[in-house]
Amino acid sequence: MALVPISYNLRSLFVRRSATLLTVLGIGATVAVVSGVLALEQGFSTLFTDSGRDDVAIFLRQGATNEGDSSFTRERAEILMKTLPEIASDSAGQRLVSAECYLAVRRNKVSGAGETNVPVRGVQPPTFLVYGDDIRIGAGRNFTPGTDEVIVGRKLVDRVEHCELGDTITFNTTPFRVVGIFDNAGPFASEIWGDRDRLSEALERPVFNRIVARLVPGTEIGFTPTWASTDGKEHLDGLSARLDKDVQVPCRVMTERQYLTGQTQALSTVLKILGSFLALVMGVAAVFTATNTMLAALAARTSEIGILTSLGFRPLAIFSSFMLEALLLGLCGGIVGCLFALPLNGVRTGTMNFQTFTEVAFAFRLTPHVLIRAVGFSLVLGLLGGAWPALRAAAMSPTRAMRRE
Amino acid sequence: MPFSLIAKNLFKHPLRALLTAASLAVALFLLCVLRSLVVALDVGVRNAAANRLIVQSSTSLFVYLPEAYEAKLASIEGVQNVCKWNWFGGYYQDPKNFFAQFATDPEALLAMYPEIEIVSGSREEFLKERQACLLGEGTAEKYGFKVGDNFPLIGALFQRTDGEPWSFKVAAIYRSKKSSVDNNTLFFNYEYLHKTIDAGQAGGPQGVGIFVLELAPGADRVQVASAVDALFEGGPQRTQTATEAEFNAQFVSMIGNVPLFVTSIGGGVMIAILLATLNTMLMAAREQTRDVGVLKALGFSDGSVFGLLLSQSLLLCIAGGGAGIALAVLSGPGMAIKLGTMFPGYEVTKGTIMQAAILTIAIGFFAGITPALRARGMSVISALRSNA
Repeated sequence: MALVPISYNLRSLFVRRSATLLTVLGIGATVAVVSGVLALEQGFSTLFTDSGRDDVAIFLRQGATNEGDSSFTRERAEILMKTLPEIASDSAGQRLVSAECYLAVRRNKVSGAGETNVPVRGVQPPTFLVYGDDIRIGAGRNFTPGTDEVIVGRKLVDRVEHCELGDTITFNTTPFRVVGIFDNAGPFASEIWGDRDRLSEALERPVFNRIVARLVPGTEIGFTPTWASTDGKEHLDGLSARLDKDVQVPCRVMTERQYLTGQTQALSTVLKILGSFLALVMGVAAVFTATNTMLAALAARTSEIGILTSLGFRPLAIFSSFMLEALLLGLCGGIVGCLFALPLNGVRTGTMNFQTFTEVAFAFRLTPHVLIRAVGFSLVLGLLGGAWPALRAAAMSPTRAMRRE
Repeated sequence: MPFSLIAKNLFKHPLRALLTAASLAVALFLLCVLRSLVVALDVGVRNAAANRLIVQSSTSLFVYLPEAYEAKLASIEGVQNVCKWNWFGGYYQDPKNFFAQFATDPEALLAMYPEIEIVSGSREEFLKERQACLLGEGTAEKYGFKVGDNFPLIGALFQRTDGEPWSFKVAAIYRSKKSSVDNNTLFFNYEYLHKTIDAGQAGGPQGVGIFVLELAPGADRVQVASAVDALFEGGPQRTQTATEAEFNAQFVSMIGNVPLFVTSIGGGVMIAILLATLNTMLMAAREQTRDVGVLKALGFSDGSVFGLLLSQSLLLCIAGGGAGIALAVLSGPGMAIKLGTMFPGYEVTKGTIMQAAILTIAIGFFAGITPALRARGMSVISALRSNA
């Protein structure tokens, strides 16, 4: 079957350039909005998922979904940390395990834009062995164990009051001095860290929130969270099943990556729903616009279609030609949309993590994945917009078309 | 210029007119919904009561205040009534079935919150019985709870040592007369929670989440607030006392950039729809070029030709945009129920409708002005000669 040459479509788009431009821009605006939402979701989940380690295990109280809800009494924490055989040791014989306390504290934003909740984490020297290179002191020095000193995550420095090197932060009635700024690729960069026992006293938090550890290589944690399992239920196997039934310290155990990914589920779901809702609603409007443009193209070229059919082009060829033109419109719209959205890439923003009520700073990320989805979406818009006009074009009889009926 | 000519031109291509109007309807619907979401965010701030103060820990949302503060607060001059509020954080059967629950002082609650109106059940039973609760109409409807029903709640924050859920009895159902209290909350007696923990039958944070103070008539709220904070300056827990509006505003501020984010989305939607309408109007104008020539040759003025094209655009937008706004208004109550727990104050307000209406007309104007100006300036000869 002979196909209508593609140059015909290109010329046609060019001749009707004002309509083409408006349609492309209209689809572009739609694609830009949708990819903006996708980029936000991507930035948020990348921060959490990519920074989580598979070789760090997180222990939480049974029934707790985040460290804010979780708690271990001192005694229970000691039992678990001292007796669990799966906990690894370093070459010096130090067990790589630490109990942390955690509290989201009220702080003022620098801009005077109100308050935010900043996570404060009380840690011990082994904590730094557990996280290894993930925590790097970027300015100043680490806090001295047992003193009222804290180190502050890089992303807090210009967002939250009293987070500069040398500043004093007061928790309830106890002042703490900022002696260092630390870097981290994940959510820790929005936290304040200090000595666990000093912080737990200042904040009157006698219990610990979670325990973190490196496990002996080859240990199978065997935890499958609800969001990763096929039947939507949680599954326990290996170590996690054993600890679930433990008589002394029953608890939940998972990898850090699983823990952090779990933290993003609520916000990711909200953003995905918002993205789909916008894609659907704005997509409908964009499809209507594309249909209008293609119908106008059809009306202007009725006699040409008559000529094409009388020359022997099959209806299918006419149909494909019109579909191709619509797809081209969609593709251009998609590219324009991505260009519109591109300046968003890297823009930093903050939002509340609904699960812990804390603020997390992160950046929009227009990853190739987001861009591919955006362009795919624009092609679907073109396809849907072109279908009806293309069908009408293909159904025209040559004589009537040439007579412009 | 007769109206029938405007309408005839507009519906010469019924499919095109319909598609454009439908896109407009969809876009305006979306804009109304987005706007209503932003409005819903700070409904608690706008409708807050002026005579209530909230005492909370100045350290953290998650730090509890000592129970002993209650008596000290009651003795401060200008404080008429004190009510404890404790977040319970339970769920019904599955964590997805979530609604707000507070352990509180029933008598003080009903005295301080006149907007809580009991619509069925007995006030006395709520005050007297230990496991009694006062349930919001919305939640009661959602789960089909009726007065006299017993139901279990699983305590995620306060776990019972026997591993069983907490049991509650619906003593009364309320409807809120103002959006300062939503229609989905469960209130129960603080004593129930407190006594169960004291008896060693449950574990969880000790103390009181927040105290709500009712000011005596004529009391100065700034003075009372600073008196409270000064009283606890030396600990054991420092407090931060705020008006109800300020207290609600802190949650809005935590959400951060959401209003800006939603506004940007709205901007994108507007640009898309403006381009779509402009596209349609340019197409229509091109097809009507010859008609314009004929009209002008017949002696119609430039102004009436201008009006012909502009009114087509306005008419199209009013029809489409109007449908979208109507859809948003009609779907409002349904959306409010769906969004109940996340956006309790969802409502398509008069302000939103006005803004949307102005926007609709503006789109119609901008989309119509270019082709209308072009038609006005066109000479009879060149219009008649055109070959569209």
